[in-house]
Amino acid sequence: MGADHRGFEFRASFSELDEGLGILHQSVDRLRRALGRGQDDRPLMLFETALGEIGGNVLTHGRPPGTERPIEYSLLLDGGTVVASLTDSGSPVHEHLAREMPAHDVEAGRGIAMARALVDELGYERDGDVNRWRLVKRL
Amino acid sequence: MALEVEMRQVENGITVVAPTGRLDVAGAPALKEAISEVVKTGPPRIVIDMGGVSFVDSTGLGSVISALKQIRGSQGELRLAAPNQQARVVLELTTLDRVFPYYATVEEALTGF
Repeated sequence: MGADHRGFEFRASFSELDEGLGILHQSVDRLRRALGRGQDDRPLMLFETALGEIGGNVLTHGRPPGTERPIEYSLLLDGGTVVASLTDSGSPVHEHLAREMPAHDVEAGRGIAMARALVDELGYERDGDVNRWRLVKRL
Repeated sequence: MALEVEMRQVENGITVVAPTGRLDVAGAPALKEAISEVVKTGPPRIVIDMGGVSFVDSTGLGSVISALKQIRGSQGELRLAAPNQQARVVLELTTLDRVFPYYATVEEALTGF
C-alpha cells in the first residue's frame, strides 16, 4: 500500500436511489485513488459490493413516504480499516439481519447475507427512530 | 449511471443482450424489461453480454434469475458472457455460478449454442 492511510474522510447526504448509489461508488473510487490501489483490488471490491447492498436497501426502504430526512453517509479510514456508516429513517429491520442465503431460484433476499460475508463487521442498531448501519473491513 | 441495454440478433436466431452500467437495484428493471421483450418473440436463446456491466448487486443478480426463469419457461436457453471480477465474486458467493455457468467472451458463449 503506497499511500498515507490517515485522513481519508468522505461525508454525504442523499435521498434519491440512483444519485445515492452513485455517491457510494464515487466515495469508494476516491478511497481507491487515495490509497493508490487499482480497480481490481480485492478487499476494496468486496467492501464496495457490501456497501452497495446495504446502501441499496437503505435507499429503497429507509425513506418511507413523508420522510424529509435524507440518508446520512460517511466513509472513514482508520489505520488500515475502512468504516462506512449509513443512517436512515426506515422501519426497524432486526428480523432481516440473520437471513440466510436463499435458494437459487429465489430472486430477492440475498443482500444482507452477502454483505455479512464480505466485510469483517456488519453492525446494525435501532437508535430512536433511525437505523444505523456500520460496515467495517480491514484493507 | 443508469443501466442502458442494447440488443442485437446474431447467427441462428440468438439474441445478445448487452447491458452497460451498474446492474443494481436501480438498473435491474431495465434488464428485466429487455428480456421480456425478447421472450415475447418466441423460444429465446439469449446471451447476456456482461462486458459493459461495472457492478452487480443482489437485485441485479435477481434480474438474471428472473431472466433465466422466463427463458426456460419459454423453452429457451440463457448464457452469461464476460462478467468482470466483481460480478464473478458475486456469482460465486451466492453459488449461482452453478446455475449460470459463464463464458469468458461472447464468442465463447455463442460457440455451440
